Amino acid sequence: MGGMKQYRQTSRQGLKVGRLTFLRAAAPRDLVCVGYGLCIALVVVLSYILGFLKLLPYDPQDMDLTLMMVPPGASGHLLGTDFMGRDILARLILGTQAYFLPGLLGITIALSLGALFGILAGYRERTADRTISFVVNLIDSFPRLVLILLVIAAFKPDIYYIMVVVGITNVPTVASLIRGKIQFLRDKNFIEAAVAIGLNTRSIILKHILWYNCRSLLIIQATLGMAEAILIETSLSYLGFGVQEPTPSWGNMVLSGANYLLQGKFWLSTTPALAILVTILGFHLLGDGLNNILEAGGKK
Amino acid sequence: MSRGATLSVENLRTYFYTKDRQAFVRAVDGVDFKIETGETVGLVGESGSGKTMTALSILGLNAGDPGVISGTILYGNGSFEKNLLQDLGRYVQLRVEDGWVLEVRKDGRGWRRHSERLMRGIRGKEIAMIFQDPRGSLNPFVPVGKQIAEAVRLHAGIKDRREAREKALFWLEQVRIDSPGLRYDNYPYGLSGGMCQRVLIAMALASEPSLLIADEPTTGLDATIQAKVVDLLEELKSTVRVTTLLISHDIQVIRRLADRVAVMYGGGIMEYGAVRDTLAAEAASNHPYTAALLGCIPDRRHIRDKLPLQAIEGDVVDTLTIPEGCRFYPRCNQVHPEIRERCQGHEPELREISPGHWLRCWLFGD
Repeated sequence: MGGMKQYRQTSRQGLKVGRLTFLRAAAPRDLVCVGYGLCIALVVVLSYILGFLKLLPYDPQDMDLTLMMVPPGASGHLLGTDFMGRDILARLILGTQAYFLPGLLGITIALSLGALFGILAGYRERTADRTISFVVNLIDSFPRLVLILLVIAAFKPDIYYIMVVVGITNVPTVASLIRGKIQFLRDKNFIEAAVAIGLNTRSIILKHILWYNCRSLLIIQATLGMAEAILIETSLSYLGFGVQEPTPSWGNMVLSGANYLLQGKFWLSTTPALAILVTILGFHLLGDGLNNILEAGGKK
Repeated sequence: MSRGATLSVENLRTYFYTKDRQAFVRAVDGVDFKIETGETVGLVGESGSGKTMTALSILGLNAGDPGVISGTILYGNGSFEKNLLQDLGRYVQLRVEDGWVLEVRKDGRGWRRHSERLMRGIRGKEIAMIFQDPRGSLNPFVPVGKQIAEAVRLHAGIKDRREAREKALFWLEQVRIDSPGLRYDNYPYGLSGGMCQRVLIAMALASEPSLLIADEPTTGLDATIQAKVVDLLEELKSTVRVTTLLISHDIQVIRRLADRVAVMYGGGIMEYGAVRDTLAAEAASNHPYTAALLGCIPDRRHIRDKLPLQAIEGDVVDTLTIPEGCRFYPRCNQVHPEIRERCQGHEPELREISPGHWLRCWLFGD
């Protein structure tokens, strides 16, 4: 048993080396991107939780007509107030509610359906591949905005409906990535070796292909999906199709504040606009950085 | 500990279609051999003689289309016996004329499903395989130790992660890998080819199989590493004593590791017998093909007298157009006028010329 103990010690060291080498090998630029992206993601998640628990500095719906459009920092309003005297910080925090859960829904749809179709198309040949490729191309060829507007017209301007559409329109991207990966891996020897040690097809696909070989790809798609969800939500809200007043959303905050830009009250719309910029940038950098670190790590 | 299994392969035929589906490649064409408990049987032959296809057919792995079309593969491990090609006839219809398969109708999908069911509990657990390309046979994104632990958890009856890890480390040590604790977390790209091969051997043994199929375990490694891997296999042979089917084109490897040997050519077995009868340097009676193969190996005489090495004239028989007579006839240098006609027109039977020594050649008896 003495031997075993020795193993455990050396292996713990080994573990450290094994887990951290890919970070050490990563370019500093990528690490900065990922760090920044993770901070943004954390802020978004925290904001969502704060908004959910109603732990806000002010009631975001509380109008104070004596303190309309006060500049940031004045009268205890850290980011100022909007044209109805509502606290901008509180509305910004609550604004994450508009895209966070719907965005997750969209991502879930895109990833799960994308993985499913990708696997079917990649693993089964001929008929399945052709049918799925056809459907996927069909979805891909449809202009997304038109589709979203159609759904809004047919149902109602609900952000969840919109995100379902966004999710579905993202299925082709994920599916083709997974399909390519599977077709690349399918004839690799280690898949046959996995069959030979007695693993069944399901665990080979789920574990060896999807989990070990596609997880970084899926994580990256998820972060990019969140960035896209924010972009779509805010643009639609800005256009007036998304989240409706008085529910705050970064998009409709930019819209309602835009009227006062010429009066010099710039913070009404620039604050949410900056929030959009910083957040989307964060998710994109997170995705890119992860892509560089994770994908390069295994490919060596 | 002796883990014994017996395997007897009879009339195994594995074909696949040419690209235009007009003809067959007869990759394995009527192979018979037997492995007894605890022994190592070598399968030797040039590239393209059907060695690997035989192995894949035994394990029911993808062996082309239509793949296995006939045969029985009896596997027994003392407690049970099973035909791994049971009910194959129900899925395959052959049109045979004069012993030639002219047409195959195979319900491939149905057979695959049926075969999966037959192989459940056999693949990996009873029969493990070591593949040719060591690095390619490991998942590049998973630490090697974890891959061994996976085999342990799958077959060795250990479900606990930590226990599986210890067991994997044990096997890493068994295959003589330095500081197993450190190597456990290495990815395949971080290991040399020889190390990967050791990991693969560990992985195959970790599921404690009764039969091990080693497909070219030394190919693709450089000479010193080859020698070390052979040393390791020899050592494991005495410690683990697992019944082994060893596939190699390297006669030296077979000589050192195998008890009996089957010499394969063009999808058929040409000679079969104890290694000392068949592969001895001055074997009395050999199949011309075996003799020619042995002639390709340099020995002390070649070095001392600066003799040129012999090569076998011609190419490996095209399994598309196997001649009607002996497969080796076109390249045979021992044909003499008396038997030429027979060699050309009729395929010889595999016959026992002395106890336990089988030959397929018209030179020996008629």
